[in-house]
Amino acid sequence: MTCPYLAYRRESEDHHFEEPRAYCTVVDRFVQPMRADLCNDRYALDHAEHCEIFRKAAPIDEADPVDTEGTSE
Amino acid sequence: MSYEDFLADEPLIVTAALTGGVHGKEANPNLPETPVEIARAAADAVDAGAAVVHLHARAANGERSFATERFQAIDDAIRERVDDVVIQHSTGGTGVPTDRRHLPLRTNPPPEMASLDMGPVNRYDHLTSENTRATVDALHEEMVERGIKPELEVFNDGHLNEVHGLLNRRELADPVYATLLFGDGTLTRPRPANFLNAIANLPDGAQFNTIGTGRHQLPFATMGIIFGGHVRVGLEDSVYYDDGELASSNAQLIERVVELAETLGRPVTTPAETRQILEL
Repeated sequence: MTCPYLAYRRESEDHHFEEPRAYCTVVDRFVQPMRADLCNDRYALDHAEHCEIFRKAAPIDEADPVDTEGTSE
Repeated sequence: MSYEDFLADEPLIVTAALTGGVHGKEANPNLPETPVEIARAAADAVDAGAAVVHLHARAANGERSFATERFQAIDDAIRERVDDVVIQHSTGGTGVPTDRRHLPLRTNPPPEMASLDMGPVNRYDHLTSENTRATVDALHEEMVERGIKPELEVFNDGHLNEVHGLLNRRELADPVYATLLFGDGTLTRPRPANFLNAIANLPDGAQFNTIGTGRHQLPFATMGIIFGGHVRVGLEDSVYYDDGELASSNAQLIERVVELAETLGRPVTTPAETRQILEL
């Protein structure tokens, strides 16, 4: 299961991208591509274990993820 | 390699680290991610004086890709635009199973060089890129099979021990080529004394490459030039040109270091000269 705080967006105040990119709704910014793998629980990565942002964030119902736009690779 | 090599005007290999595997356009919109963008950046880097391009692959949305096909697309796009350059693929991959990290070695033709991370590196607060000795040996084995020169990435002084350990375990073709990294976190603390200590502890006959990350890019490139090493610069290692000023391109960073090298009396190598020095 991907991080419930992950969204895919094309725009923020400072950025505009052609492809939707990983956006962290806790810190309100696009995340590094390496961190996006973590948000998506790809490979051996697990957002609940490896992401300090998720671990510090307020609890959220993981069955009710935030809005997303598009998909990752 | 030493100050004597500098005094002898030994030529300098400049490697362009165009993309990287950590940050992307969210950090600097000028960072190339698609095969075409990377190929254009490679062409500009070569025009600016780079002889080697260090490559990572990305998906269309900038996220990391380790697929052979994606590296192949990048290499093909570069070869369409660049007459000659030494292609070096990354085999790094934090949190990625080892079998995927072999995939960048399997393009046709294989890259002439590939990175080989010499040990663990911390990422964020709860993650480590492990790079066990077994992983290092397995990647090196496939590099040998495919005729790929390893670029030994030494993230800190402990990894200098790992270089010597690798030489004890396995036969490496001469010359050993080690990249010394200086910066924050797990990297060697970026201080001149640590640079001098690192180069003094390399195996005899080794050639070394120098990386300073972030604001340390230019000063450590300068030390690499003065002490007879080689240098790597590019948006992978620093997205800034100056304090608070984003770099406009990889070529901008390369032009600066090439001008510096020439001012200090070290001519930069062509790809052909690079092959001679590194015995590719």
